[in-house]
Amino acid sequence: MLLQLKNIYKWVTQGGRRVFLLNDINLSVEAGEFITIMGPSGSGKSTLLNVIGMLDGFQEGEYQFLDESVHQIKEKQRSKLYKEYIGFVFQQYHLIDELTVYENIETPLLYKNIKSSERKALVADMLDRFNIVGKKDLFPAQLSGGQQQLVGIARALVAKPKLILADEPTGNLNSTQSQEIMELFATLNAEGVTIIQATHSETNAGYGSRTIHLLDGRRDHSR
Amino acid sequence: MIKNHLKIAWRNVVANPMFSAINILGLSLSLAITTLLFLFIYHENSFNEMYTNKGQIFRVTLQTGESYNNTVYANAPAMVGPTAAVEIPEVINALRVYKHGFGDPAYIGTKNNSFIETGLYYADPSLCTVFEIDLLNGNKDNALKNPNTAIISERTAERFFGTSKVLGQSFSIDDNKTIEITGVFRDLPTNSTLDGNVYVSMATSFFSKNPSWSNASLETYLLTTPNTNAKVLDKKMQEMLDKNVPEEGRWYSLKAQPFDQVHLYSSHIQNGYSSRKGSIDQVSSLSWLAFLILIIACINYMNLATARSQKRSREVGVSKTLGASKSSLIRRFYTETGLVTFISIILGVFIAILSLPYFNKIAGIEIPSDLLLSGIFILSLVAIWLVATLLAGSYPALYMSSFSAKKVLNGDKGGSFWTISIRRGLVVLQFVASTILIVGVYVIYSQLNYIQQKDLGFTTDRVVAVSINGVNDQNKVALLKEQLLQLPEVTALGAAQGYPGKNVSGRMIQHPLEDDGGLAVQTNRADAEALDVLQLRLLAGKNLPSVKAIGDTLVEVVVNKRITDYLGYEPAEAIGQKISMLPGENEYIVGVVDNFHYASLREPIGAYAFHNLASEYKEFLLLKLTVSDLSQHISRIQDRFQTVVDAVPFDYSFMDQNIEKLYIEEKQTASIGMIFSILAVFVACLGLFGLAAFTAEQRDKEIGIRKVLGASVLGITKLLSIDFINLICIALLIAFPLSYYIMNNWLQEFAYRIHIGWTPFVFTALFALLVAIMTVSFQSIKAALRNPITALRKE
Repeated sequence: MLLQLKNIYKWVTQGGRRVFLLNDINLSVEAGEFITIMGPSGSGKSTLLNVIGMLDGFQEGEYQFLDESVHQIKEKQRSKLYKEYIGFVFQQYHLIDELTVYENIETPLLYKNIKSSERKALVADMLDRFNIVGKKDLFPAQLSGGQQQLVGIARALVAKPKLILADEPTGNLNSTQSQEIMELFATLNAEGVTIIQATHSETNAGYGSRTIHLLDGRRDHSR
Repeated sequence: MIKNHLKIAWRNVVANPMFSAINILGLSLSLAITTLLFLFIYHENSFNEMYTNKGQIFRVTLQTGESYNNTVYANAPAMVGPTAAVEIPEVINALRVYKHGFGDPAYIGTKNNSFIETGLYYADPSLCTVFEIDLLNGNKDNALKNPNTAIISERTAERFFGTSKVLGQSFSIDDNKTIEITGVFRDLPTNSTLDGNVYVSMATSFFSKNPSWSNASLETYLLTTPNTNAKVLDKKMQEMLDKNVPEEGRWYSLKAQPFDQVHLYSSHIQNGYSSRKGSIDQVSSLSWLAFLILIIACINYMNLATARSQKRSREVGVSKTLGASKSSLIRRFYTETGLVTFISIILGVFIAILSLPYFNKIAGIEIPSDLLLSGIFILSLVAIWLVATLLAGSYPALYMSSFSAKKVLNGDKGGSFWTISIRRGLVVLQFVASTILIVGVYVIYSQLNYIQQKDLGFTTDRVVAVSINGVNDQNKVALLKEQLLQLPEVTALGAAQGYPGKNVSGRMIQHPLEDDGGLAVQTNRADAEALDVLQLRLLAGKNLPSVKAIGDTLVEVVVNKRITDYLGYEPAEAIGQKISMLPGENEYIVGVVDNFHYASLREPIGAYAFHNLASEYKEFLLLKLTVSDLSQHISRIQDRFQTVVDAVPFDYSFMDQNIEKLYIEEKQTASIGMIFSILAVFVACLGLFGLAAFTAEQRDKEIGIRKVLGASVLGITKLLSIDFINLICIALLIAFPLSYYIMNNWLQEFAYRIHIGWTPFVFTALFALLVAIMTVSFQSIKAALRNPITALRKE
């Protein structure tokens, strides 16, 4: 068991009434799964992903990550978990504009205090693997959207995380680029990386091993 | 990691040229100012550090009683030093110093040349022991033992003789004494209170022949055993007075002033001989100025950094999901600030070095440029750098590192109520500081202007004082007068012991009826023409008689109104009354003049009298000229002067400049303050400019939508500017009472002063608003004129 959510509730209060963002969510994820979270806009996909990624808290329920309780985690432990286990891929790529492709991919390794020689080897591996060696000295602004997302994924992978969280990873890409990215995810998953993605696209969902449907913050078991 | 931080920092600097330029320009200007002011403060505080005995040296000051206005003087009677050395066990050695002619220049004659020397002193042989002055040539122990010997500084030796090998050479003083040089000393440093170029042996002077307990003219220094307490010395000096001086002669008490306080804490002490007088007030007000300016620049940096944080916040969020801890982000932002302040400080020091000569000139000091290379200066630069980095970097580092990753990545633009409030608060703070500076400078200038415009009660217009101190032959003086009067531009000419703005002789007037101790009076030996030249307003009676018969023992006196008030007469009643001012003389009041400001406007007007008793020399000729362009005609006067007395150098001063010299410290503070205030306002405006640019950028979309909905350019400009204008108004409201309080305090120093009306405030408000509106509206108009679609397409 990689992680488990039990009866998770998350709400905001508007005009004296509770509006539920997440309503009684139960979910267990085994290592090696490729899970797709689907649902219309506002159904809570991103919120759920943020909770899993510990970017966001919740009001009620229990969350175990590798048998560790996450409900009351401190910032320090959280950044340790990020460093060790989790890689993020964003719809807007979120590369650091001031850093080159090479340096962007290197950054998580810096935070892990990995030695310079080892860093070089790891980053070179990634550049090789994603065929972007020729672009390593370019800045994000000089790349196309698809290329930026490749760099984003390379950066998420370089620290060898157990879990990749991807929020609409292809949302800003055209269909050819999308297909490339999804095939890459499938390959990674085959290599043993757990992936959880949120998406609108049925095609993308097809790459996953399991799909969870959300509607108004609840799991929609009807589909 | 630090390399990575620096890399990001550097790329950020390069990627935003405008904001980096604003930041670096603002910071480097302020750091240049801080550096200069620091140098000044350091230089002032380093005064007399080179004298290793300084902790054991005390200056004897003399405090007068009630009837002499409780004045403190830097001079003591000639008997004090030698007696203290014998009678007070703690005193190892005593040194008496007397400046030639109470500060009037000496006329030096060498074989081939004549010179004016303003740094000629008479000193006891203990000079070289008390202050450890090493002689390059000559024997330190007996260099000043004999009459008519002197030691001379290296530079002065070169000036007089063209060489520093002058042992055994001689020169004359005021054409009547011949002095042999028995030693040459290294030039005294610029941060030494001792500023003599020539020290003549005290044995040469009048005072060693006639030492008294009453004539207080000698600056007296006591070298004491270690750990001697000033209080103990005070007590023992009182005992010494009680023992040696009969009670009626004890019109003063003596106080020991520790030598390390002499430079900065002597503004209340009169008649110190040194030309280098510091003031702790000036040092502290300039320290505040340096601090304010540094704060303004740091706030700039904070504001611009946090305004940009909206863009930077994404980077923070991403870094956090990549495992960056808060502390590593704090380090990163500090690194970035450190880089910017480092560039700024290098630039700032460069600016400071270039402007040091001008600063020296304005401030009237001599900061040697090698101070810039000293270890202490480098060290303090590092300190300033650290302080600026910590100060400027604190807010961005702490604020931005605490961004939550989720909020930022989900496109929350930040800019919460708090961050905006803090940014506004900082802008307000900045303008409060600038406003105080502007009001302060305005008030100082108004006061100086008031002093210049004020009717002093006499005229300084086109009056020149020519020194005839070196002319000993009275026939020559008469000839000189005659010759000068022949010049067409000279309309009147008088002679006097001194002139307003210059100390003359201090005496006492006894009240005929009451025994109240008397009234301290300044007496000036003058002739009738001198009073005419000064155009004093005669209230009653007549001027001094222009011709005096030989053998006439009557002394005529013209007094000011302060004296008749004291004696209880109406001006007209006072004419013909006997007065007791000059001991043992037959003196009568012949005229009463209106009060006039013979001293600085800091002091209330005291008693002043002109008389014609030959008790003092008439040291000056006062010339009234017809022409306004004085400097051109001076050479003609000089030619005439030299044809009569060629051995005496020509020394003159313009009366209006003499009066201005009384306010030199205020002038200096005002000019330094003005330049720096303008820079401070400029730096604050740089910040405002940057902030306005960011606001415009941030409200980009809003502006686009408003324009699509039909808003006018003017409307949008107003919308964007009004926020800032409000902030400036708040700042003005806070700053006005503060600055009123501060400046009103400052004005208390002057017995005659302006009232702070509403003008400085209206001026400052208009100025600040105008500058702010111009700064902000430039950005606002630019934003308002943009095609809305460029803004809306972005999303």
